[in-house]
Amino acid sequence: MKRFIDNIKKYFKYAVFSAKADLKSEVAGSYLNWLWWILDPLCFMMIYIFIAAVIFRSSEPYFPVFIFIGLTVWDFFNKTVNSSVKIVSNNRAIVTKIYIPKYILILQKTFVNLFKMSISWILVFILMFIFKVPLSITYLYFIPLLIIIYLVTFGVSTILLHYGIFVEDLANVTSLTLRLVFYMSGIFYNLATKVPKPFNSILLRCNPVAYIINAFRTIFLKGQLPSLVMMSFWFVAGIILVAIGVHIVHKYENSYAKVI
Amino acid sequence: MKKEIAITVKNLHISYRGLKKFSIKRSLFKGTKNSKEIFEAVKGISFQVEKGKILGFIGKNGSGKSTTLRALAGIFSPDKGIIDLHGNTVSLLSIGVGFQPKLTGYENIYLSGMLLGFSESQIKEKEKEIIEFADIGDFIYKPVKTYSSGMHSKLAFAITAILETDIILIDEVLSVGDAAFKEKSYNKMKELIGDDNRTVVIVSHSLDTIKNLCDEVLWLHNGEIKKIGDPDSVIEEYKKFMETQ
Repeated sequence: MKRFIDNIKKYFKYAVFSAKADLKSEVAGSYLNWLWWILDPLCFMMIYIFIAAVIFRSSEPYFPVFIFIGLTVWDFFNKTVNSSVKIVSNNRAIVTKIYIPKYILILQKTFVNLFKMSISWILVFILMFIFKVPLSITYLYFIPLLIIIYLVTFGVSTILLHYGIFVEDLANVTSLTLRLVFYMSGIFYNLATKVPKPFNSILLRCNPVAYIINAFRTIFLKGQLPSLVMMSFWFVAGIILVAIGVHIVHKYENSYAKVI
Repeated sequence: MKKEIAITVKNLHISYRGLKKFSIKRSLFKGTKNSKEIFEAVKGISFQVEKGKILGFIGKNGSGKSTTLRALAGIFSPDKGIIDLHGNTVSLLSIGVGFQPKLTGYENIYLSGMLLGFSESQIKEKEKEIIEFADIGDFIYKPVKTYSSGMHSKLAFAITAILETDIILIDEVLSVGDAAFKEKSYNKMKELIGDDNRTVVIVSHSLDTIKNLCDEVLWLHNGEIKKIGDPDSVIEEYKKFMETQ
């Protein structure tokens, strides 16, 4: 535990700097530059609105905002977890030349994705303003919910980082599983009303992504409080996931360089 | 006065074993035959390096030189035995040091420096000196993936040589770059070696380099120490041994 905190302190600046550099290099070569960070989520929102509103005739209130919240959370989780499987071999150049706690690579990735997520959130707030979603004190739950999704994502990613090194085809399994989770998280439909009982409440409780997306929608669109019991449950679960991941990495990281 | 020791290695064992990758498909269809291929790269070596001294590693390919060096750098831990660096900072210099290919050389100076444990302001101070020493012109502001292998090593060498860590591990790097750079890096090496606080471990196949630079030479053969001692006599014996092979 102490080692984890020390490492985070020691490499925090590195992670921030390298995340910045990453973001810079990502846009440096492309024609539309940083506009992609805005265009990307916007276009996906349009696609899902088309599918859900036009084809399935969904009638959620504030539908574009509803979808955008789901996508924002999903993108952060999906991008981080997906890249974590191959993260050590993708950074082979560094890993085989110098010691670095391997979860720092995940930390760096989450910073990149946090930045993209914050752009996405700003768009959500702009949309909420345009669609005249009423303001509510429940907005304050935004921060704790953000912490929960961060913890869960970081935990899952660190665990996958470890297994991704030894299991060659884990990347395929992960992207399949993520696809499944995507459809089970109610990103472009309402899980609570579209899925028959009792599966909807099972999904909303056991799938962290579904739970968090739903909680964000509850505080922003309905102005209601999310269930505190579930919030504390996933907060603790997130911490446990991180603890397991960090423990495994600490135990085995020294042999990673031998395998890749 | 007792000499200060910078590196202590005791009974070091490193093996590549039981860590083989597997794929889900393979283990499903062929069953989990656990073929235990144990390859011991380093079999119980012990040595000490005094602070400010230069140690050279020689030995034929696959004798465990690079493995030992990487263990010293902390990239992987020994299976058995102890490596004690007595709290010194360490950096490994080898061909194609860890750069992020998409980022510019300039950014990579900062990234590598930070990984070596230097703060942003410390690197800023040395930034000019590094760029000057690397001598790759405007390429410093271009992505590293556009570099030739020579430029790559020049920059890598410049970073490690200018951002001075207490212990420098060098893996076959003096033999890259053009003649002018070779000369320059060789001189820089001499300068580093002249510094009483800097400990250097060199792996090289160039016996002349080892002979000229090192205070002591360690001859590794199949993961064991064949001989350790002063450069002239060890290299002489190594040459004879290689001829009989």
